[in-house]
Amino acid sequence: MASLVPCPHCGSRPKEEFTIKGAALARPAPDADPDSWFHYVYLRENPRGAYEEYWHHTAGCRRWLIVCRDTVTHQVNTSQDAAAAKGQAA
Amino acid sequence: MPDLRALPALADRTPLVSHGIRLSPLPEGTVLQMIVGPDAPDQTANVERLANESGLAARPLSPGQWLLIGDKPTRRADMKHLLAALEPQASGIDQSHGRVRMRLEGPMAVKVLAKGTAVDLNQRAFPPGRSVATLIGHIAAHLTRHDVEDFEIAVLRGLAEACWIDLAGMCEEFV
Ligand SMILES: [Zn+2]
Repeated sequence: MASLVPCPHCGSRPKEEFTIKGAALARPAPDADPDSWFHYVYLRENPRGAYEEYWHHTAGCRRWLIVCRDTVTHQVNTSQDAAAAKGQAA
Repeated sequence: MPDLRALPALADRTPLVSHGIRLSPLPEGTVLQMIVGPDAPDQTANVERLANESGLAARPLSPGQWLLIGDKPTRRADMKHLLAALEPQASGIDQSHGRVRMRLEGPMAVKVLAKGTAVDLNQRAFPPGRSVATLIGHIAAHLTRHDVEDFEIAVLRGLAEACWIDLAGMCEEFV
């Protein structure tokens, strides 16, 4: 179940401690065409299976995470610090 | 000039005491939050040294963040020095007014806390000396385990009384 989310900093925590932002998408360049921005802001896939989302550990370490979960089984496959994943310091 | 008097958030709360459990307010001394900049190197050693020098305890809050906690208030001049001590690697923020601490201890402490938080309270997962940030009920709290049956809870000042009432309720069956 996705109700226990593994935080890379805090360990296993209930979903109540988190805020979900939604799909973890690559942000277009500032001067990208309006279509790219429209897709980025409004359009979402609704996949059956693996899905990457931004989760904020609001009541814990307050770090943004990228959580990959399966929308069918609710199994959380990976969870990593979003800044670390982008190559920035944690 | 109006006479402004600082009142402790849990001033009117007397400790809740029984054989199994004891819930008591802790003095509103010093709480200082230390935040490391995104590009700064690891400051763990520096933060711990600073805490040692100033008689405070450095407790991890999150990656690159600590609460420096002490029972006694820090003088204004000393605080000014503390806040700037690790600049530009890390910045301090005085939270002495903003966080209120209480203590929960006794053989039933783990049973009481387990009603409010989903943190694994097993000694191996959460050994004495460790701190975690979590929820107690709906209230975000910073939890430190001093000993196997001795916990310190720090919450935002405005939620201190609500947290006390919640904890008192959780203690009720052992009082
Ligand atoms: Zn966390």
